[in-house]
Amino acid sequence: MSRIVMRFTGVGGQGVLLAGEIFAAAKIKEGGFGVKTATYTSQVRGGATVVDIQLDDKEIFYPYAIDGQIDFMLSVADVSYQQFKNGVKDGGTIVIEPNLVHPTEEDRKRWNIIEIPIITIAKEEVGNVITQSVVALAIANRYTNALDEKLLVDTMLSKVPPRFHELNKKAYELGKKYANEAMAEA
Amino acid sequence: MSATREVISSGNDLAAMAAVDAGCRFFGGYPITPSSEVMHTISDLLPKVGGAAIQMEDEIGGVAAAIGAGMSGVRTLTATSGPGISLKAENLGLAQMAEVPLVVINVMRGGPSTGLPTRVAQGDVAQAKNPSHGDYKSITLCAGNLAECYTETVRAFNLADRFMQPVFVLLDETIGHMHAKAIIPTEEAVKEGIVPRKTFDGAPEDYLPYGVEQDQPAVLNPMFKGYRYHFTGLHHDASGFPTEEIETCRKLIDRLFRKVEEHQGEIELNEEYMLDDAEILLIGYGSASLAIKEAVDVLRAEGVKVGMFRPITLWPSPEKRLHELGQKFDKILSVELNQGQYLEEIQRSMGRLDIAKLTKTNGRPFSPSDIIEKVKEL
Repeated sequence: MSRIVMRFTGVGGQGVLLAGEIFAAAKIKEGGFGVKTATYTSQVRGGATVVDIQLDDKEIFYPYAIDGQIDFMLSVADVSYQQFKNGVKDGGTIVIEPNLVHPTEEDRKRWNIIEIPIITIAKEEVGNVITQSVVALAIANRYTNALDEKLLVDTMLSKVPPRFHELNKKAYELGKKYANEAMAEA
Repeated sequence: MSATREVISSGNDLAAMAAVDAGCRFFGGYPITPSSEVMHTISDLLPKVGGAAIQMEDEIGGVAAAIGAGMSGVRTLTATSGPGISLKAENLGLAQMAEVPLVVINVMRGGPSTGLPTRVAQGDVAQAKNPSHGDYKSITLCAGNLAECYTETVRAFNLADRFMQPVFVLLDETIGHMHAKAIIPTEEAVKEGIVPRKTFDGAPEDYLPYGVEQDQPAVLNPMFKGYRYHFTGLHHDASGFPTEEIETCRKLIDRLFRKVEEHQGEIELNEEYMLDDAEILLIGYGSASLAIKEAVDVLRAEGVKVGMFRPITLWPSPEKRLHELGQKFDKILSVELNQGQYLEEIQRSMGRLDIAKLTKTNGRPFSPSDIIEKVKEL
Protein backbone atom coordinates (compact mmCIF):
# COMPACT_ATOMS: atom_id res chain seq x y z
CA MET A 1 0.00 0.00 0.00
CA SER A 2 1.26 3.49 -0.71
CA ARG A 3 1.08 6.06 2.04
CA ILE A 4 -2.36 7.25 3.15
CA VAL A 5 -2.41 10.72 4.67
CA MET A 6 -5.44 11.96 6.59
CA ARG A 7 -6.17 15.10 8.57
CA PHE A 8 -8.94 15.54 11.14
CA THR A 9 -9.68 19.09 12.23
CA GLY A 10 -11.93 20.62 14.81
CA VAL A 11 -11.70 22.80 17.84
CA GLY A 12 -10.25 21.98 21.26
CA GLY A 13 -12.53 19.83 23.39
CA GLN A 14 -14.33 18.05 20.54
CA GLY A 15 -12.30 14.89 20.95
CA VAL A 16 -10.90 14.54 17.45
CA LEU A 17 -7.69 13.04 18.82
CA LEU A 18 -9.02 9.57 19.51
CA ALA A 19 -9.82 8.61 15.93
CA GLY A 20 -6.21 9.29 14.98
CA GLU A 21 -4.86 7.02 17.67
CA ILE A 22 -7.22 4.24 16.58
CA PHE A 23 -6.12 4.46 12.95
CA ALA A 24 -2.43 4.41 13.86
CA ALA A 25 -2.82 1.53 16.31
CA ALA A 26 -4.83 -0.57 13.85
CA LYS A 27 -2.27 -0.09 11.09
CA ILE A 28 0.52 -1.11 13.46
CA LYS A 29 -1.45 -4.21 14.49
CA GLU A 30 -1.67 -5.08 10.82
CA GLY A 31 2.14 -5.06 10.72
CA GLY A 32 2.66 -1.65 9.14
CA PHE A 33 3.50 1.81 10.39
CA GLY A 34 1.05 4.42 11.66
CA VAL A 35 1.79 7.81 13.15
CA LYS A 36 -0.55 10.30 14.78
CA THR A 37 0.32 13.85 15.72
CA ALA A 38 -1.93 16.52 17.15
CA THR A 39 -1.42 20.25 17.06
CA TYR A 40 -3.50 22.56 19.16
CA THR A 41 -3.41 26.08 20.53
CA SER A 42 -3.02 27.26 24.11
CA GLN A 43 -6.73 27.99 24.39
CA VAL A 44 -8.42 25.32 26.53
CA ARG A 45 -11.50 25.23 24.31
CA GLY A 46 -12.28 26.79 20.96
CA GLY A 47 -8.80 26.86 19.40
CA ALA A 48 -8.18 25.16 16.06
CA THR A 49 -7.07 21.56 16.52
CA VAL A 50 -5.53 19.40 13.84
CA VAL A 51 -4.74 15.71 13.93
CA ASP A 52 -2.52 14.24 11.23
CA ILE A 53 -2.58 10.52 10.50
CA GLN A 54 -0.15 8.74 8.22
CA LEU A 55 -0.38 5.04 7.42
CA ASP A 56 2.23 3.17 5.40
CA ASP A 57 3.83 -0.24 4.96
CA LYS A 58 7.22 1.47 5.13
CA GLU A 59 8.69 3.30 8.10
CA ILE A 60 7.55 6.90 8.56
CA PHE A 61 10.15 9.28 10.01
CA TYR A 62 8.53 12.72 9.75
CA PRO A 63 5.33 12.59 11.81
CA TYR A 64 3.29 15.44 10.30
CA ALA A 65 1.24 15.40 7.11
CA ILE A 66 2.91 17.43 4.40
CA ASP A 67 0.71 20.11 2.82
CA GLY A 68 -0.34 19.09 -0.66
CA GLN A 69 -0.10 15.38 0.12
CA ILE A 70 -3.29 14.96 2.17
CA ASP A 71 -5.75 12.50 0.61
CA PHE A 72 -8.59 12.95 3.03
CA MET A 73 -9.65 15.60 5.50
CA LEU A 74 -12.56 15.67 7.91
CA SER A 75 -13.61 18.91 9.52
CA VAL A 76 -16.15 19.74 12.21
CA ALA A 77 -15.29 23.41 12.76
CA ASP A 78 -15.08 26.26 10.29
CA VAL A 79 -12.09 27.97 11.93
CA SER A 80 -9.93 24.90 11.45
CA TYR A 81 -11.42 24.05 8.04
CA GLN A 82 -10.36 27.45 6.69
CA GLN A 83 -6.94 27.22 8.29
CA PHE A 84 -6.03 23.74 7.13
CA LYS A 85 -7.97 23.05 3.90
CA ASN A 86 -5.07 24.06 1.64
CA GLY A 87 -3.06 21.05 2.77
CA VAL A 88 -5.45 18.74 0.92
CA LYS A 89 -4.28 17.70 -2.54
CA ASP A 90 -6.38 18.90 -5.49
CA GLY A 91 -9.24 16.48 -6.06
CA GLY A 92 -8.89 15.11 -2.52
CA THR A 93 -11.91 14.39 -0.36
CA ILE A 94 -13.04 16.69 2.45
CA VAL A 95 -15.91 15.58 4.66
CA ILE A 96 -17.50 18.47 6.52
CA GLU A 97 -20.15 18.93 9.17
CA PRO A 98 -22.49 21.16 7.08
CA ASN A 99 -24.02 22.87 10.10
CA LEU A 100 -20.63 24.20 11.19
CA VAL A 101 -18.33 24.34 8.16
CA HIS A 102 -18.91 26.65 5.22
CA PRO A 103 -16.84 25.98 2.11
CA THR A 104 -16.75 28.45 -0.79
CA GLU A 105 -17.84 27.64 -4.34
CA GLU A 106 -14.16 27.56 -5.37
CA ASP A 107 -13.52 25.00 -2.63
CA ARG A 108 -16.26 22.80 -4.06
CA LYS A 109 -14.60 22.88 -7.47
CA ARG A 110 -11.13 22.17 -6.13
CA TRP A 111 -11.99 19.32 -3.77
CA ASN A 112 -14.56 16.59 -3.48
CA ILE A 113 -16.53 18.10 -0.61
CA ILE A 114 -19.00 15.78 1.13
CA GLU A 115 -21.53 16.99 3.67
CA ILE A 116 -22.31 14.63 6.54
CA PRO A 117 -23.83 16.01 9.78
CA ILE A 118 -21.39 14.13 12.00
CA ILE A 119 -22.20 15.93 15.23
CA THR A 120 -25.96 15.71 14.74
CA ILE A 121 -25.64 11.97 14.04
CA ALA A 122 -23.62 11.45 17.21
CA LYS A 123 -25.86 13.61 19.35
CA GLU A 124 -29.29 12.58 18.09
CA GLU A 125 -29.00 9.16 16.47
CA VAL A 126 -26.27 7.56 18.58
CA GLY A 127 -27.33 9.53 21.63
CA ASN A 128 -23.95 10.77 22.84
CA VAL A 129 -21.96 13.59 21.23
CA ILE A 130 -18.69 12.07 22.38
CA THR A 131 -19.13 9.26 19.84
CA GLN A 132 -18.53 11.74 16.99
CA SER A 133 -14.92 10.59 16.72
CA VAL A 134 -16.11 7.04 16.04
CA VAL A 135 -18.65 8.27 13.48
CA ALA A 136 -15.74 10.14 11.89
CA LEU A 137 -13.53 7.05 12.04
CA ALA A 138 -16.08 5.02 10.06
CA ILE A 139 -16.52 7.76 7.45
CA ALA A 140 -12.76 8.21 7.02
CA ASN A 141 -12.18 4.51 6.55
CA ARG A 142 -15.06 4.21 4.09
CA TYR A 143 -13.55 6.95 1.92
CA THR A 144 -9.89 5.94 2.17
CA ASN A 145 -10.27 2.14 2.39
CA ALA A 146 -7.24 2.41 4.66
CA LEU A 147 -7.85 -0.61 6.84
CA ASP A 148 -9.77 -3.83 7.20
CA GLU A 149 -13.01 -2.91 8.96
CA LYS A 150 -12.95 -5.67 11.55
CA LEU A 151 -9.41 -4.80 12.59
CA LEU A 152 -10.34 -1.13 12.90
CA VAL A 153 -13.50 -1.80 14.91
CA ASP A 154 -11.69 -4.24 17.23
CA THR A 155 -8.94 -1.67 17.81
CA MET A 156 -11.55 0.99 18.52
CA LEU A 157 -13.35 -1.25 21.02
CA SER A 158 -10.06 -2.02 22.78
CA LYS A 159 -9.77 1.71 23.57
CA VAL A 160 -13.23 2.26 25.05
CA PRO A 161 -14.63 0.82 28.29
CA PRO A 162 -16.80 -2.32 27.77
CA ARG A 163 -19.99 -0.61 28.92
CA PHE A 164 -19.72 1.74 25.94
CA HIS A 165 -19.05 -0.97 23.33
CA GLU A 166 -22.61 -1.16 22.00
CA LEU A 167 -22.88 2.63 21.77
CA ASN A 168 -19.63 2.89 19.81
CA LYS A 169 -20.53 -0.01 17.51
CA LYS A 170 -23.75 1.84 16.74
CA ALA A 171 -21.75 5.03 16.06
CA TYR A 172 -19.47 3.14 13.67
CA GLU A 173 -22.39 1.57 11.79
CA LEU A 174 -24.16 4.92 11.44
CA GLY A 175 -21.00 6.61 10.18
CA LYS A 176 -20.60 3.89 7.58
CA LYS A 177 -24.27 4.13 6.56
CA TYR A 178 -24.09 7.89 6.02
CA ALA A 179 -20.83 7.56 4.09
CA ASN A 180 -22.38 4.90 1.83
CA GLU A 181 -25.38 7.11 1.19
CA ALA A 182 -23.18 10.10 0.39
CA MET A 183 -21.17 7.96 -2.02
CA ALA A 184 -24.32 6.69 -3.72
CA GLU A 185 -25.53 10.26 -4.24
CA ALA A 186 -22.26 11.40 -5.79
CA MET B 1 20.20 -4.79 25.50
CA SER B 2 18.95 -7.56 23.28
CA ALA B 3 15.38 -8.47 24.25
CA THR B 4 12.84 -5.98 22.91
CA ARG B 5 9.09 -5.37 22.84
CA GLU B 6 6.77 -3.38 20.60
CA VAL B 7 4.58 -0.69 22.12
CA ILE B 8 2.22 1.92 20.68
CA SER B 9 2.56 5.06 22.71
CA SER B 10 3.60 8.71 22.89
CA GLY B 11 7.00 10.12 23.82
CA ASN B 12 5.85 11.51 27.16
CA ASP B 13 4.20 8.23 28.17
CA LEU B 14 7.29 6.29 27.11
CA ALA B 15 9.52 8.52 29.23
CA ALA B 16 7.32 7.92 32.28
CA MET B 17 7.30 4.16 31.65
CA ALA B 18 11.07 4.16 31.25
CA ALA B 19 11.57 5.95 34.55
CA VAL B 20 9.56 3.34 36.42
CA ASP B 21 11.26 0.44 34.62
CA ALA B 22 14.66 1.97 35.44
CA GLY B 23 13.81 1.89 39.13
CA CYS B 24 12.55 5.44 39.70
CA ARG B 25 10.34 5.46 42.78
CA PHE B 26 9.71 9.15 43.33
CA PHE B 27 8.39 11.97 41.19
CA GLY B 28 8.13 15.54 42.37
CA GLY B 29 6.85 18.16 39.98
CA TYR B 30 4.24 20.56 38.74
CA PRO B 31 2.26 20.15 35.51
CA ILE B 32 3.19 22.25 32.49
CA THR B 33 2.42 21.89 28.78
CA PRO B 34 3.80 20.06 26.85
CA SER B 35 5.28 17.81 29.55
CA SER B 36 2.18 17.18 31.67
CA GLU B 37 1.57 13.64 30.39
CA VAL B 38 4.87 12.53 31.95
CA MET B 39 3.43 13.52 35.33
CA HIS B 40 -0.04 12.10 34.61
CA THR B 41 1.35 8.74 33.58
CA ILE B 42 3.94 8.37 36.30
CA SER B 43 1.33 9.37 38.91
CA ASP B 44 -0.62 6.35 37.76
CA LEU B 45 2.37 3.97 37.57
CA LEU B 46 4.39 4.77 40.70
CA PRO B 47 1.83 3.83 43.39
CA LYS B 48 1.49 0.40 41.73
CA VAL B 49 5.17 -0.36 42.40
CA GLY B 50 5.36 1.13 45.89
CA GLY B 51 6.59 4.53 44.73
CA ALA B 52 5.14 8.00 45.16
CA ALA B 53 4.39 10.95 42.92
CA ILE B 54 3.59 14.35 44.31
CA GLN B 55 2.35 17.54 42.74
CA MET B 56 4.03 20.29 44.74
CA GLU B 57 2.96 23.91 45.13
CA ASP B 58 5.10 25.02 42.19
CA GLU B 59 8.06 24.04 39.99
CA ILE B 60 10.57 24.98 42.69
CA GLY B 61 8.86 22.75 45.23
CA GLY B 62 8.74 19.96 42.65
CA VAL B 63 12.48 19.79 42.11
CA ALA B 64 13.19 20.37 45.80
CA ALA B 65 11.08 17.32 46.70
CA ALA B 66 12.84 15.28 44.01
CA ILE B 67 16.26 16.29 45.35
CA GLY B 68 15.18 15.31 48.86
CA ALA B 69 14.13 11.90 47.60
CA GLY B 70 17.48 11.58 45.83
CA MET B 71 19.26 12.26 49.13
CA SER B 72 17.37 9.37 50.71
CA GLY B 73 18.84 7.04 48.07
CA VAL B 74 15.82 6.70 45.78
CA ARG B 75 15.95 7.08 42.02
CA THR B 76 14.02 10.27 41.43
CA LEU B 77 12.51 12.28 38.58
CA THR B 78 11.08 15.67 37.83
CA ALA B 79 9.57 16.66 34.49
CA THR B 80 8.78 20.07 33.13
CA SER B 81 9.13 22.42 30.19
CA GLY B 82 11.44 25.44 29.68
CA PRO B 83 9.72 27.92 32.02
CA GLY B 84 9.82 25.24 34.70
CA ILE B 85 13.58 24.79 34.27
CA SER B 86 13.99 28.56 34.74
CA LEU B 87 12.19 28.27 38.06
CA LYS B 88 14.06 25.15 39.14
CA ALA B 89 17.43 26.61 38.21
CA GLU B 90 18.70 27.44 41.69
CA ASN B 91 17.91 24.00 43.08
CA LEU B 92 19.47 22.34 40.04
CA GLY B 93 22.67 24.16 40.98
CA LEU B 94 22.36 22.79 44.50
CA ALA B 95 22.09 19.25 43.12
CA GLN B 96 25.20 19.86 40.98
CA MET B 97 27.17 21.23 43.91
CA ALA B 98 26.06 18.69 46.52
CA GLU B 99 26.12 15.87 43.90
CA VAL B 100 22.59 14.54 44.16
CA PRO B 101 21.52 12.22 41.34
CA LEU B 102 18.29 13.27 39.69
CA VAL B 103 16.72 12.97 36.24
CA VAL B 104 15.11 16.07 34.76
CA ILE B 105 12.90 15.63 31.69
CA ASN B 106 12.37 18.86 29.75
CA VAL B 107 9.75 18.67 27.00
CA MET B 108 10.70 21.82 25.10
CA ARG B 109 8.22 24.41 23.84
CA GLY B 110 8.57 27.89 22.34
CA GLY B 111 10.25 30.54 24.51
CA PRO B 112 11.54 32.76 26.03
CA SER B 113 9.15 33.30 28.93
CA THR B 114 5.67 31.83 28.43
CA GLY B 115 6.34 31.73 24.68
CA LEU B 116 4.27 29.25 22.70
CA PRO B 117 3.05 26.73 25.26
CA THR B 118 1.57 24.15 22.90
CA ARG B 119 4.13 24.43 20.12
CA VAL B 120 7.48 22.91 19.36
CA ALA B 121 10.95 24.40 19.81
CA GLN B 122 14.47 23.33 20.71
CA GLY B 123 15.20 26.55 22.54
CA ASP B 124 16.46 25.07 25.82
CA VAL B 125 19.66 23.50 24.52
CA ALA B 126 21.92 26.29 25.77
CA GLN B 127 19.94 26.45 29.02
CA ALA B 128 20.51 22.74 29.63
CA LYS B 129 24.27 23.33 29.49
CA ASN B 130 24.16 25.95 32.23
CA PRO B 131 20.73 26.20 33.84
CA SER B 132 22.11 27.53 37.13
CA HIS B 133 24.88 29.97 38.02
CA GLY B 134 28.41 28.80 38.64
CA ASP B 135 30.69 26.21 37.09
CA TYR B 136 29.71 22.60 36.59
CA LYS B 137 29.52 20.14 33.73
CA SER B 138 26.05 19.32 32.43
CA ILE B 139 25.04 15.91 31.17
CA THR B 140 22.20 16.33 28.67
CA LEU B 141 20.65 13.64 26.48
CA CYS B 142 18.22 14.36 23.65
CA ALA B 143 15.69 11.86 22.27
CA GLY B 144 15.40 11.88 18.48
CA ASN B 145 12.60 9.35 18.09
CA LEU B 146 9.92 7.63 20.18
CA ALA B 147 12.07 4.68 21.22
CA GLU B 148 14.72 7.05 22.53
CA CYS B 149 12.18 8.75 24.81
CA TYR B 150 12.34 5.41 26.59
CA THR B 151 15.99 4.39 26.15
CA GLU B 152 17.46 7.82 26.89
CA THR B 153 15.40 8.15 30.06
CA VAL B 154 16.72 4.77 31.20
CA ARG B 155 20.25 5.86 30.32
CA ALA B 156 19.77 9.12 32.21
CA PHE B 157 18.96 7.27 35.44
CA ASN B 158 22.06 5.10 35.09
CA LEU B 159 24.26 8.11 34.32
CA ALA B 160 22.81 10.11 37.23
CA ASP B 161 23.80 7.38 39.69
CA ARG B 162 27.17 6.87 38.02
CA PHE B 163 28.13 10.56 37.99
CA MET B 164 26.06 11.73 40.99
CA GLN B 165 24.45 14.78 39.44
CA PRO B 166 21.30 15.90 37.63
CA VAL B 167 20.98 14.47 34.12
CA PHE B 168 18.72 16.21 31.60
CA VAL B 169 16.61 14.41 29.04
CA LEU B 170 15.41 16.81 26.35
CA LEU B 171 12.23 15.95 24.48
CA ASP B 172 10.17 18.47 22.59
CA GLU B 173 6.49 19.01 21.89
CA THR B 174 6.59 17.01 18.65
CA ILE B 175 8.27 13.96 20.06
CA GLY B 176 6.52 14.15 23.44
CA HIS B 177 3.08 14.12 21.86
CA MET B 178 3.54 12.02 18.71
CA HIS B 179 1.86 8.67 18.89
CA ALA B 180 3.17 5.64 17.03
CA LYS B 181 5.06 2.37 17.30
CA ALA B 182 8.27 2.06 19.27
CA ILE B 183 10.56 -0.93 19.71
CA ILE B 184 11.99 -0.70 23.20
CA PRO B 185 13.95 -2.98 25.55
CA THR B 186 12.00 -5.33 27.78
CA GLU B 187 11.60 -4.43 31.44
CA GLU B 188 13.91 -7.33 32.33
CA ALA B 189 16.63 -6.07 29.99
CA VAL B 190 16.39 -2.62 31.60
CA LYS B 191 16.59 -4.12 35.10
CA GLU B 192 19.70 -6.10 34.15
CA GLY B 193 21.40 -2.88 33.08
CA ILE B 194 20.83 -1.03 36.36
CA VAL B 195 24.00 -0.32 38.33
CA PRO B 196 23.07 1.07 41.74
CA ARG B 197 24.97 4.09 42.98
CA LYS B 198 28.10 3.46 45.05
CA THR B 199 27.79 3.44 48.82
CA PHE B 200 30.33 3.43 51.63
CA ASP B 201 30.07 0.45 53.99
CA GLY B 202 32.99 1.09 56.36
CA ALA B 203 32.73 2.50 59.88
CA PRO B 204 30.42 5.56 60.03
CA GLU B 205 33.17 7.65 61.70
CA ASP B 206 35.45 7.04 58.67
CA TYR B 207 32.84 8.19 56.14
CA LEU B 208 33.93 11.13 53.95
CA PRO B 209 31.32 11.47 51.17
CA TYR B 210 33.29 14.01 49.17
CA GLY B 211 36.73 12.54 49.90
CA VAL B 212 37.14 10.86 46.51
CA GLU B 213 39.66 10.80 43.65
CA GLN B 214 39.76 13.92 41.46
CA ASP B 215 37.98 12.19 38.55
CA GLN B 216 35.27 10.57 40.67
CA PRO B 217 31.84 11.63 41.93
CA ALA B 218 30.91 11.86 45.60
CA VAL B 219 29.79 8.69 47.39
CA LEU B 220 26.58 9.69 49.12
CA ASN B 221 25.04 7.06 51.35
CA PRO B 222 21.26 7.35 51.72
CA MET B 223 20.28 9.68 54.55
CA PHE B 224 18.86 8.17 57.76
CA LYS B 225 20.84 4.92 57.50
CA GLY B 226 23.42 5.66 60.15
CA TYR B 227 25.94 7.54 58.02
CA ARG B 228 25.88 11.23 58.92
CA TYR B 229 27.23 13.92 56.68
CA HIS B 230 26.74 17.59 56.08
CA PHE B 231 24.81 18.67 52.98
CA THR B 232 25.29 22.16 51.56
CA GLY B 233 25.41 24.34 48.47
CA LEU B 234 28.45 26.11 49.91
CA HIS B 235 31.94 25.04 48.90
CA HIS B 236 32.65 22.10 51.14
CA ASP B 237 35.39 19.75 52.25
CA ALA B 238 35.55 15.94 52.18
CA SER B 239 33.05 15.67 55.05
CA GLY B 240 30.58 18.05 53.40
CA PHE B 241 31.12 20.93 55.85
CA PRO B 242 31.54 24.45 54.42
CA THR B 243 35.07 25.67 53.89
CA GLU B 244 36.89 28.56 52.27
CA GLU B 245 40.25 26.81 52.28
CA ILE B 246 41.85 27.82 48.97
CA GLU B 247 43.04 24.48 47.65
CA THR B 248 39.93 22.57 48.78
CA CYS B 249 37.69 25.07 46.97
CA ARG B 250 39.73 24.82 43.76
CA LYS B 251 39.76 21.04 43.84
CA LEU B 252 36.01 20.77 44.40
CA ILE B 253 35.02 22.60 41.20
CA ASP B 254 37.87 21.00 39.29
CA ARG B 255 36.48 17.61 40.30
CA LEU B 256 32.91 18.50 39.22
CA PHE B 257 34.39 18.97 35.74
CA ARG B 258 36.87 16.12 35.68
CA LYS B 259 34.42 13.47 36.91
CA VAL B 260 32.53 14.04 33.64
CA GLU B 261 35.29 15.06 31.21
CA GLU B 262 37.59 12.16 31.99
CA HIS B 263 34.83 9.63 31.42
CA GLN B 264 33.11 11.15 28.41
CA GLY B 265 33.32 7.80 26.62
CA GLU B 266 30.69 6.46 29.02
CA ILE B 267 28.35 9.31 28.15
CA GLU B 268 28.75 10.15 24.47
CA LEU B 269 26.26 8.70 21.99
CA ASN B 270 25.67 9.73 18.37
CA GLU B 271 23.84 8.50 15.31
CA GLU B 272 25.37 8.65 11.84
CA TYR B 273 22.88 8.20 9.00
CA MET B 274 24.07 7.68 5.41
CA LEU B 275 27.38 9.38 6.20
CA ASP B 276 29.90 6.95 4.67
CA ASP B 277 29.79 8.20 1.08
CA ALA B 278 28.10 11.54 1.80
CA GLU B 279 29.34 14.79 0.29
CA ILE B 280 27.04 17.11 2.27
CA LEU B 281 26.72 16.87 6.03
CA LEU B 282 23.50 17.73 7.87
CA ILE B 283 23.68 18.08 11.65
CA GLY B 284 20.56 18.03 13.81
CA TYR B 285 19.07 16.45 16.91
CA GLY B 286 15.74 15.75 18.58
CA SER B 287 12.58 15.93 16.50
CA ALA B 288 14.30 18.03 13.80
CA SER B 289 16.19 14.85 12.89
CA LEU B 290 12.91 13.19 11.82
CA ALA B 291 12.50 15.79 9.07
CA ILE B 292 16.23 15.56 8.26
CA LYS B 293 16.07 11.79 7.79
CA GLU B 294 13.09 12.07 5.49
CA ALA B 295 14.92 14.82 3.55
CA VAL B 296 18.07 12.66 3.29
CA ASP B 297 16.01 9.82 1.82
CA VAL B 298 14.35 12.11 -0.74
CA LEU B 299 17.65 13.79 -1.73
CA ARG B 300 19.44 10.44 -2.00
CA ALA B 301 16.70 9.21 -4.34
CA GLU B 302 17.49 12.26 -6.51
CA GLY B 303 21.19 11.40 -6.45
CA VAL B 304 22.30 14.06 -3.95
CA LYS B 305 24.78 12.48 -1.53
CA VAL B 306 23.76 13.77 1.88
CA GLY B 307 24.10 12.24 5.30
CA MET B 308 23.21 13.16 8.86
CA PHE B 309 25.16 13.38 12.10
CA ARG B 310 22.93 13.43 15.17
CA PRO B 311 24.30 13.90 18.68
CA ILE B 312 22.11 12.00 21.16
CA THR B 313 24.25 13.21 24.05
CA LEU B 314 24.25 17.00 23.55
CA TRP B 315 26.34 17.85 26.63
CA PRO B 316 29.16 17.17 26.91
CA SER B 317 29.24 17.61 23.15
CA PRO B 318 30.93 15.09 20.82
CA GLU B 319 33.63 17.66 20.09
CA LYS B 320 36.26 15.21 18.78
CA ARG B 321 33.87 13.59 16.30
CA LEU B 322 32.56 17.00 15.24
CA HIS B 323 36.15 18.14 14.68
CA GLU B 324 36.83 15.13 12.43
CA LEU B 325 33.65 15.74 10.46
CA GLY B 326 34.54 19.41 10.07
CA GLN B 327 37.78 18.36 8.35
CA LYS B 328 36.11 15.78 6.14
CA PHE B 329 33.17 17.82 4.83
CA ASP B 330 33.21 21.03 2.89
CA LYS B 331 29.46 21.67 2.88
CA ILE B 332 27.82 21.48 6.30
CA LEU B 333 24.29 22.50 7.31
CA SER B 334 23.15 22.77 10.91
CA VAL B 335 19.38 22.38 11.43
CA GLU B 336 17.80 23.51 14.72
CA LEU B 337 14.43 24.72 16.02
CA ASN B 338 16.13 27.73 17.64
CA GLN B 339 18.31 30.58 16.44
CA GLY B 340 21.46 28.44 16.36
CA GLN B 341 22.20 27.44 19.95
CA TYR B 342 24.10 24.28 19.09
CA LEU B 343 25.63 25.83 15.97
CA GLU B 344 28.02 27.73 18.24
CA GLU B 345 29.20 24.43 19.73
CA ILE B 346 29.60 22.92 16.26
CA GLN B 347 31.66 25.95 15.15
CA ARG B 348 33.80 25.75 18.28
CA SER B 349 34.40 22.01 17.91
CA MET B 350 35.15 22.21 14.20
CA GLY B 351 37.26 25.35 14.54
CA ARG B 352 35.49 26.99 11.61
CA LEU B 353 32.69 29.48 11.16
CA ASP B 354 31.47 28.66 7.64
CA ILE B 355 28.66 26.31 8.70
CA ALA B 356 25.34 26.98 6.96
CA LYS B 357 22.31 27.10 9.23
CA LEU B 358 18.60 26.45 8.96
CA THR B 359 16.67 27.68 11.97
CA LYS B 360 13.06 28.23 12.93
CA THR B 361 11.53 29.86 16.01
CA ASN B 362 7.85 30.31 15.16
CA GLY B 363 6.62 27.23 17.01
CA ARG B 364 6.24 25.19 13.83
CA PRO B 365 8.28 22.10 12.96
CA PHE B 366 10.62 21.85 9.99
CA SER B 367 9.12 20.02 7.08
CA PRO B 368 11.43 17.83 4.97
CA SER B 369 10.92 20.24 2.06
CA ASP B 370 12.39 23.14 4.12
CA ILE B 371 15.57 21.11 4.43
CA ILE B 372 15.63 19.85 0.84
CA GLU B 373 15.31 23.42 -0.43
CA LYS B 374 18.14 24.67 1.80
CA VAL B 375 20.46 21.80 0.81
CA LYS B 376 19.94 22.65 -2.86
CA GLU B 377 21.01 26.24 -2.18
CA LEU B 378 24.34 25.18 -0.62
